This record gives sequence, C-alpha cells and structure tokens, in this order.
Amino acid sequence: MVTKTIVFSPFSRLEGDLQIHVEIEDGRIAVSRASGTLYRGFELMLRGRDPLDAIVFTCRVCGQCGLIHSAASAAAIRAVLGVEMPPNACIASNVMLAVEVILSHLTHFYLSFAPDFADAPYDDAAAARFLPPAGASCSRMLREREEILGVLGLFAGKWPNSLAIQPGGTTRPVNACEIRRAQGLLGEFSEFVTQQLIGCELEHWLALRSAADLDRWLGEGAHAASDMGFFITRALRLGLDKMGRWPARFISSGGWPSATGGTLMRPGWMPNLPQVANLRGVVEAFDPARIAEHVKNSWFEPYEGGLHPHDGESEAAPERTDAYSWAKAPRYAGQPAEAGPLARLAIDRDALIMDLLGRHGPSVYVRELARLHETIRLLSQIGIWLGEVDPEEPFCRDTRHAESGSGVGLVEAPRGTLGHWIRVEGGKIRNYQIVTPTGWNLSPRDSEDQPGPLEAALVGTSVPDPDHPVTVSHVVKSFDPCLFCTVH
Amino acid sequence: MANLLWIQAVCCGAETASLLNSDHPHFEVALRALDVAVLGHAYLHGQAKGKMGDVLAACAAGTVPVNLLVVEGATYRAARQPAPWATGKPLTDWVDAIARVADYTVAVGTCASFGGIMACARSPLGATGLQFHRADRGGLLGADYRSRAGLPVVNVPGCPAHPDWMIGTLWALRRDRLTLGDLDRFNRPRAFYGKLAHHACPRNEYYEFKASATAYSQQGCLFENLGCKGTLCESDCNERLWLARTGSCTRGGFPCLSCTSPVFPDGFVPFFQTAKISDIPTSLPLDVPKAWYVGISGLSKLACPERLRRNAVSSKPVWPDRGAADGDKDDRV
Repeated sequence: MVTKTIVFSPFSRLEGDLQIHVEIEDGRIAVSRASGTLYRGFELMLRGRDPLDAIVFTCRVCGQCGLIHSAASAAAIRAVLGVEMPPNACIASNVMLAVEVILSHLTHFYLSFAPDFADAPYDDAAAARFLPPAGASCSRMLREREEILGVLGLFAGKWPNSLAIQPGGTTRPVNACEIRRAQGLLGEFSEFVTQQLIGCELEHWLALRSAADLDRWLGEGAHAASDMGFFITRALRLGLDKMGRWPARFISSGGWPSATGGTLMRPGWMPNLPQVANLRGVVEAFDPARIAEHVKNSWFEPYEGGLHPHDGESEAAPERTDAYSWAKAPRYAGQPAEAGPLARLAIDRDALIMDLLGRHGPSVYVRELARLHETIRLLSQIGIWLGEVDPEEPFCRDTRHAESGSGVGLVEAPRGTLGHWIRVEGGKIRNYQIVTPTGWNLSPRDSEDQPGPLEAALVGTSVPDPDHPVTVSHVVKSFDPCLFCTVH
Repeated sequence: MANLLWIQAVCCGAETASLLNSDHPHFEVALRALDVAVLGHAYLHGQAKGKMGDVLAACAAGTVPVNLLVVEGATYRAARQPAPWATGKPLTDWVDAIARVADYTVAVGTCASFGGIMACARSPLGATGLQFHRADRGGLLGADYRSRAGLPVVNVPGCPAHPDWMIGTLWALRRDRLTLGDLDRFNRPRAFYGKLAHHACPRNEYYEFKASATAYSQQGCLFENLGCKGTLCESDCNERLWLARTGSCTRGGFPCLSCTSPVFPDGFVPFFQTAKISDIPTSLPLDVPKAWYVGISGLSKLACPERLRRNAVSSKPVWPDRGAADGDKDDRV
C-alpha cells in the first residue's frame, strides 16, 4: 500500500485561502482535512460598536455575498427591536438577495467550476467554451452580467457593499417606471440564460420533474449544445455523479421570506438522506437552538463541546498546534450538515432534485446541477416579485435605536444557511457571532472528531494524477466554498 | 504582452467582484486592451500557468517580469497568521519581495491602500495598507518606497473600488501615462478622486436648502440626520454611477460612508448618525469655506421652499395642487 500526503493550496480558481490536506492510499483519498488559513477577526472588531454599524462591517465579510450578510445583520437587529419590515421591503430585499445568489451561482459556474473541464487532462472543446476570460460562454456571461446588475442597482444603489437593507426596511423606494425598467433588464438577462445556459425557455426547464424528464430534455433540440447540456454530458462521462458523496444531512432556513409569512422554500433539517424507494425522506423542523459551534480543531481558545452562537466565543489562539483551521465546526443536533442549493432544494422537496438525488446521490453532479436549477427558479421568481411591488405603499418604517437585548438573523445565502447572532447592552454590541454556509460545508472536525461535509465527501475520491488533482478540485468546488465568509 | 500579478491578501474579494462588474469596457475586453497576462488572480490563474507558489517565487526572483503588481486587501506587520498557502512564506513577505521588482505597484480597495476595515480599532490583525497606515505614510513598504518605474504605490481605494477606477488606473500605467502629478496627497489618481461623492447627487437641491430626510426611504438630503459623508468623500460616484450606471450609495437611499478615505471606517463611526453642535454638523463639507457654510446654511434653511420641505420627508413625490382651471398659476415653490 502506498500512502502519499498532498497539500493543495491555494486552489486554482477559488477565492479565499483554502488548504486541503489529503492522504492518498492506492490512488484514493483515505483522509482529508480542510483548513481555512486566513484570519480577520470580524466578531472581535464588532464588540463595543453601535449595533447598526454591524450592517456596515458584516457586509464586508464577503465581497460576493455581502448583501446577504447585511440582511442577516439587519434581521438580527430587527429581532432585538421586535419590529417587522413593510411588505414592499420584504419583496425588495428578496429581489436584491436573489440577484446576489444568481450572480454568485453563475460566477461560480463560469469562472470556477466549469473552467476545470478546460484544464489538462481535458480537452479543447471545453476550453473554447469555458476557459476564462475569453472562452465563448464565460465572456458572454461577463457581458450579460450588466443587465442583472442593473436590476440590482435600481434597488440597492451600489454593490458590493450596499446598505439598502436596514432594520426598518429598504432604503430606496422604487416607482412604477423603475419597476418596468427592472422587468426589462431582467427579460434581457433571461435571454442569456435561455439561449446560452439552457437553450430553452425558463418555463420549459422548470417543468422538468424527474431524472427521466431530464434525460428526455437532453435529447431534444439543441439542448445538448447548451452550457447545461454540455455540463450534464461531461459530468456523467467523467463520473461526477459518483464523486463527492457523503452520508449527507441537509440544513436550510428556507430563505426569501414572504410578506405574508413563511419562506419561498421550506425550512428544515434532513438528518437522513431518503433512499431511492422512499423519496419523501424525513424533514424535521429547523430549530436554530440546536446549532452549536466546536473549536477542538480550530485556532481559538478551547472550550468543552459546542457553544450555541448566542454564547459563542472567538478568542484567537494561533499558537495551538492541535488545531488546523481558522473555521469553527458548526453542528446541528451534534451532526455535521451540508448547506446550499442542494440542501435547500432537497428540503423544499423540489421534484427534479429529489429524483436526481435518488438516482445519483449527493454527488458533485447533483450538487452542481442543483445550483444551476436554483438559478433558473430564482430568475423566474424575481419576475413574480417585481410584479408584487406596490409603489404606492411604504418601503421602510422608522425604527428606534437598539439599546439592549439579543436577536438572531437567519437567512439563505448563495452557499446556504447563514446566521448572525447579536447581543446588545447599553446601546452597544456586547457579542456578535456569525455562522456561515461554508462554515457548515468546510467545517473542520468537531469535539467528537467527526469530519465536516467536505472532509467526508473527499474520502474515497480517486486521484489518478496528484500533480493535476482535478478530481479533488471538482469535489471541493461542488460545495462552492467561500473562504472569506468562513474565516470571518 | 506584459504580466499583471494580482495578489489577494487579507481581503473579502469585493474588488474582484467589483472588477467583474465592469461595463464598457467589459472585463474580458478590458483585459485584451490592457494586453496583459493575469497571474495569481483567483479566477484567472489556471493550472496552465503553473503552481501559485512557483509563480510567486519566479516573480520575486525576477525570472517572470512583473509589469503590474496589484494587491487586493490589507497586509499585516504583526504576523498572527500561520503561513498561508503551501508556499512556506507569509503572504506579506511575497508582497514585499515582489513590490521591489515590479514596474508599478497598485493597491486596489481601501484595505490595500490604507488598511481599511481590516485595520480598524479592535482588529486583532495588526493590518496595514501597502504604503499608508490609515492617513500616515509608511505602511508595509515604507514611505520611501518607489516601484521600478519610480512611482509610489498607486492607491485605488473604495470599499469596494469602482471597476472604472481600477481599470482606468491600470490602463494609464500600462501606457506609462500616470505621473506623480496625477496623484493626490494620498497617491490616488486625481482623475477619479478629485471630486466629491456629493457632486451630482440627485439630492443636491435638498442639500442646498437643508431640507433633510429624517428616516430612510425619504427623498431629502441624508447629511443632516442620517450620517451621509458625501461632502467629505473624495470620489466621483454620483457622476460615474455604479451597476451598469444605475445607482450610487445616496441614489440607493443610504448614506455615503466616505469609503475612499484613509480613515475609513473609524473616522466615521457611528456611521448612521451625524455628529452636531447646536444643530450644525461638526463634519463640514470639504469643498466650501467653513465659515461661509455655517453662515449660509442657516439662511438657506429659512429660504427653503415649501415644496422641498414637504418632499424631503416623503418617500413619494408630493405634487403641488393642480391650480386654477386656466393653468396659469404656478405654485411650485
């Protein structure tokens, strides 16, 4: 038996500082460790500051998903104050946050995931399409981005780092003319998706309800020539449907709250992946009280077991030689959990994704396809939301200053469930804790030494050429890691 | 074709995200026009360009010439970080070494320029900007640093920086057309930082008459009550506009935080309040003499038309009555 230890870092086409340590036995990964190697200390920076300033600081945790951080922060303050946003603000935030998700998903697919098909040992057809920045599909995505950015601009003013979402609501009322303009821009951007990404109308794609429907779709018309068709064909040929599986448990807070209560997708906790024969699975209620973070293997002052984020601690201890990551290990009911589009759609019981999970398991292929499928669902949903904005009604309520109390804001970020916990005393922040989606997915081992989802998903991955670890890259990227968020 | 080495230090990736938002030129067109091969960048450094550690070593040794070194994010002096990447050397050491051999060094974003958010009070990092620590010269590379072409670090701050500011600066440097005289006192290109965010703000009429919003989503000026720093912020945001030219901070209804300033963030906290002494804001506009400002602002508040007074605190336009049936009455004031 040959054992080889390899450290991959930094990763090609991946933002943030991720280090993956794997031990390979007989060509397959036997042990893996995921480390976030950057430390910034946002939680410490926030102590003693004005609660509202948390919105400014936390949206700067991540350049790609800052708006959702600001939304979580505003929601946590809203919980301290016990107030609600007016319906228009709910809709306007949903539009902004959905645009941020779409931008994030497409940036990930076109600039991070798909380009791996173009690198050695793969071929030129993929390079012509996906090699950034000049590959035909990715250069078109970079151009068409402008239209959906325009939709965002009408609501958010600027991005990254918009402050348009506040505890009282959204800061920019949009009038009827601007809603028309947003619909127009959305329509133009949708043409890129229909022509380039899926080669069919959004409704046609959204009508797919099963793996068999998808097989049929792939054989029709020019679908196989679309970016989605290319991805599906290539992924199945490379066996990505057998790669990156783990005994998945899923977590989702639902995301995109409706003005009339409830969320766009159902929230939940799925402790066991349903078997093929029993696709309904078991979805339990999502209860944030069951979240705890462990630091046994993280560069923080150690404590016993896990702490609920409300009581969380973040004292750095870089000298600890028994730790290997700046990320803590969040656990739900003591278990590692996967967050993200696949988790959201599975918990929401999306018919296509559930059937694909039944056939291919929680693999690289299904994880990535769920991300693209969610992009299309949200794109269609933005059009519905824009029609629900009532320009005659308010977008923001005046709120008082938060003086004391605690609150949590739980939202769905592009990469999954995000929580901000705030404790305010004497009008200042006493404690602030952030649990990010990549924190869930790329978590290090916990107090019981249970590996995180990515660490578990890497085990068993075949690595034919350690100098070109493209299989490792596929598995890692299928979680769309954002290391900036993780190591806040 | 020249080499552009883009290093992400202690950052959040927002400059990268902002860069991808570039329109006219779109990002890919801009790269072609710059005629550069991009190394090191998160999205553009593929396997074919070699392992990152090897590339950094070759750049530092001078075997791969670096025309443009671009740093995104703060660096740090007190090393509380384990060595990042599998390169065996702290990132700061790489930046320091490569800056000595680069033709030009560019700091994109406020963190790389001045330390920014990463160097705020209570930050545990000991973070700093490349050639400034907040408003003081020095930073990682020292006050006397000059790149091979003889310029100090060119600062392109903003949280994040506008794509035009980044691409425009790189464009000028590629053609050797940026001189010391084109930079301001914080080594920012005057072309982008010579004006104030306040200029061309659509709320300017409200500002002139001190007709102020009291809460978000209202149409009035955000300076008097909501903490807007647009009259202190050296940038052209409201002329240039963001996101396919649809918006800006104040157009988005929230205050400008003066994020291009070397003292962002702690020079402006708490962000959403305006510090005042007897109704006069203590942070007065940069572009008018202070005594005159104080003198005329009382007067202009008295002169404020009713139309502005009412609209300032409304989220929707408040129109005057239709007036007489013959339409000759104009009651706009």
